[in-house]
Amino acid sequence: MTELAIKFAGVGKQYRYFTLHNIHLEVPPGQIMGLIGPNGAGKSTTIRILMGLIHQDHGEVRVLDHRMPAEQVAAKWDIGFASEDMRLYDAMTLDWHMRFIRSIYPQWDPAYAQLLLKRFGLLAEQKIRGLSHGQRVKATLLLVLARRPRLLVLDEPTTGLDPVARHEILRELSAVMNDEGRSILFSSHNTQDVEQISDQITFIDRGRIIDSMDKEAYLDRWRRLRLEAPSGIELPALPGVINIRQTGRLAVATSNEFVPGIARAYEQSGARIQMIENMTLEEIFVAKVEHSREEVEA
Amino acid sequence: MESGILISQSDKRPIYLQIIEQIKRRIAVEDWTEGQPIPSIRQLAVDLQVSVITVKRAYLELEREGVIVTQQGRGSRVASTPGLGLRLHQEELQQHLEQAVRLSALLGIKPTELESRLREAGANITEKETS
Amino acid sequence: MKGSVVWTLILSDLHRHRTFILFSILSGGLALVLIQVGGELPSLLGTIWFFTGMIVLGCMLPGSNVINERKKQTLPFLMSLPMSISQFTAAKIVSTFGIFFVPWLTLVITAVAFIAGHKGIPHGIIPVVIVLSTFVFVGFGLNAGAALVTESEGVMVASMIVTNSSYGFGWYMLARNPAIGAGMKSPVIVWSKEILTVLGAEFAVIVLILGLTFYFQSRKRDFV
Repeated sequence: MTELAIKFAGVGKQYRYFTLHNIHLEVPPGQIMGLIGPNGAGKSTTIRILMGLIHQDHGEVRVLDHRMPAEQVAAKWDIGFASEDMRLYDAMTLDWHMRFIRSIYPQWDPAYAQLLLKRFGLLAEQKIRGLSHGQRVKATLLLVLARRPRLLVLDEPTTGLDPVARHEILRELSAVMNDEGRSILFSSHNTQDVEQISDQITFIDRGRIIDSMDKEAYLDRWRRLRLEAPSGIELPALPGVINIRQTGRLAVATSNEFVPGIARAYEQSGARIQMIENMTLEEIFVAKVEHSREEVEA
Repeated sequence: MESGILISQSDKRPIYLQIIEQIKRRIAVEDWTEGQPIPSIRQLAVDLQVSVITVKRAYLELEREGVIVTQQGRGSRVASTPGLGLRLHQEELQQHLEQAVRLSALLGIKPTELESRLREAGANITEKETS
Repeated sequence: MKGSVVWTLILSDLHRHRTFILFSILSGGLALVLIQVGGELPSLLGTIWFFTGMIVLGCMLPGSNVINERKKQTLPFLMSLPMSISQFTAAKIVSTFGIFFVPWLTLVITAVAFIAGHKGIPHGIIPVVIVLSTFVFVGFGLNAGAALVTESEGVMVASMIVTNSSYGFGWYMLARNPAIGAGMKSPVIVWSKEILTVLGAEFAVIVLILGLTFYFQSRKRDFV
């Protein structure tokens, strides 16, 4: 199967106080894409357009090779969706929900569902209103996972969860990758999760995609350089360095397109390089957003 | 197949480097022997709960260095070069030594002084082990 | 495959409201028991109780089955199911009216049977009971239609205020009509022209409400 699991081409949506601009996104099958961005950036809007719940104003959206929103019914047979603002029926039990989903989707795997109950530490006979936040999130994910859908679309799947619950969920999401025909798109504030399991990362800020690429390549482009600049030395502005902060004789430079030449250039200017560090996705995220905003304001 | 590899979050180095290092170590201590099959890229990714692309990067690098061999449809295995384990051990030592040289250069210590420091360190260790 | 998602949704709504339905039927049944006890006051209370139960059901139901989906945030869960918005809205219309219809019909049949078997109550009252019950159905239909189409709790409440205020007025107008008033006291069932006209008008309004609801719902494009 060579068709993309998800394809956005030139997608835009206009709201009164917010606009989604020119969204291009491609997720090949068998991959995990992590969507990150500040609050209000447009992650949830993008996900809803993906699910066919909102009509885009222009642009093409194809999910599992179905045009959205026109073919959303066909697409939703193979998509498992869970969002942070989604709730189950309070007064009913988890078992009721399992039977509900099971009666709709023929691909429901009862053995896997039982295994998930055990792994997540959930009791099927329990009413939803009696569950803690973490248990409820896990219950919602169980209903999605046990169907083994070809595409998982998750809006903040680990937000607000304790470390054990997070680990349980990441374990199951990773297990999806055993099947190279299955894909995941998830948005998260938890940059550590995104950094860990995503094959591709997409950054959204203020309705625009500011980066979308292979995670390893992306992480590899960024470095933090710790420099010692003796007094009188002026540190040069270099292409590929988006930020330099100097306090006294020590300086920290942030590079978003690192090449060894940058280190050499600093050394030639008289500075000494103490350390060249990789950056975590969280650090990149903050640096990127701050830099983007400075550019817009300039 | 249990890989026995553990990714440490406190380790600041990229995950793919940790994977490379731990695979090399397994081979160096002869847990994994020459020609032995190792987990496929996807299997390891699922096992470690990391992205497939990270494992792929590690495997590509290991293949480039001749440590493992990946065949389309047959999975991956340790390279069949004899003495691979020993070679990896040597490489690791070499890396540590180069690191020591770099660090001493940073501290302004000359290589001759480094030599005597090395002998000193050897004596310290012998002392600790015999006491 | 498509049809079964709609059906599953309708059945699940009914299942979730099973206590509602049971309670309404029991409540109406108890009202009839009170009338059975006899005497002017119990009969009056029982009669009021009988219709009030129906009215309350008609008020609580649109809130519980329609407005709550948005309020309790279960809407995204349903929207992720493999169905279109028109299938979803159709399922909701059917389930909302269905959850009302089941106890309503049970109560009407029970009441008619009760009166038919009761020596002390003139059978002429049966058409009036049917007309009054159908009037409550119309009121419910209005509340349900408003809730389904606008998805607004405020509009639904406004509709409830209008319908609840109109019951007393409607019953008064009915009782004032001499033909209907006379028919009520008759020992046999009398389907007077007036009664049939009112009944016909009520059914026409119900059909109109259903038709308009389906029409407005079909024009909705987005789930959100």
